[in-house]
Amino acid sequence: MKLACIAALACACTVAAGCRTTAGTSVVMNHQTGGSVIYEGNTRLHNEVAVTAVTYDKVPAGLNRVNIQLTSLVQRELHLQYRIAWFNAEGMEIDGDARTYRPLILQGLDSVTVTGVGNHPSAVTSRLRLRERRAADHRR
Amino acid sequence: MKKVFIPVAGAVLLMTFTGCATAPHVYESELDRAPMTTRIEPQDIRRTVEKMAESLISDAGVLEATGGKRPVLDIEPMKNRSQMIVDMKSITDSVRTRLIRSRLFRFVDRTTAGADITIMDEQAQLGLTDRRKAIRPGQQSAAEMYLTGSLTDMITRAGRATDHYYKFNMILKDLRTGEIVWTDEQEIRKVAIRPTF
Repeated sequence: MKLACIAALACACTVAAGCRTTAGTSVVMNHQTGGSVIYEGNTRLHNEVAVTAVTYDKVPAGLNRVNIQLTSLVQRELHLQYRIAWFNAEGMEIDGDARTYRPLILQGLDSVTVTGVGNHPSAVTSRLRLRERRAADHRR
Repeated sequence: MKKVFIPVAGAVLLMTFTGCATAPHVYESELDRAPMTTRIEPQDIRRTVEKMAESLISDAGVLEATGGKRPVLDIEPMKNRSQMIVDMKSITDSVRTRLIRSRLFRFVDRTTAGADITIMDEQAQLGLTDRRKAIRPGQQSAAEMYLTGSLTDMITRAGRATDHYYKFNMILKDLRTGEIVWTDEQEIRKVAIRPTF
């Protein structure tokens, strides 16, 4: 009985701690080489959202633009946030404070395309960061 | 059972009383935090500014209207047609900051024209400045286009739910032709549900 109580308490603490992760999915796009890499740091998000397409081009003014298609793998509505940051050729983020997390509500089994435009002519790499909104709200 | 229950209960009570401390719990928060009310909040302004700046930068019509050159823009304060008190100049100032840093646009600022005249007069009259280097009035760039916009809102109440809808609209107008060269909108919708008890 004693062991059962301790085990139950330990389980509850573990579950509560696991719900606080803000790690999510990242998509890094190198606009010079055309290569893209997907990092998935959250198993739960990996099972709920898939990155199905990544394309890039330039806007008429010459700045880089990235388009990323996200597809829901579940039937319920997903409340997410995404942020697209830009990096120069040295890998340093450009105007990091100016890039915001935007809300994204993804309906069941639906796809949306999110787009980001470089904020400076020296921006050559983009990184999309996708996270669960619920996890980011834990300090309300 | 008692040997486990009493320490656990004691720990819970200790945490509860610690939470009743009189000093407020203050911490650094990220700029894009979760909404706290249905009113316009800082993260809404930041997202609106980012969207408007990106839309303006990537629009082909602006480049076509300026013949590929960096146009000189000015800001006309946005109109607040909502029921919220919002500093509209702060929004246009932020958009201007993003556009200048993109190196695609140039700006003039009429609000500091008085200071410009004061500085030029001092340079010309005080005798401290080399007259050959002093800046004389009448040489500043002229604005070719200006940015302006409006904020409107709509409130719907049903039972315990309050639905607040906002719409930011911005335009870029060509002073020479009078045409609207670019326009975009940002819609924000927030719902608050009062608790039953």
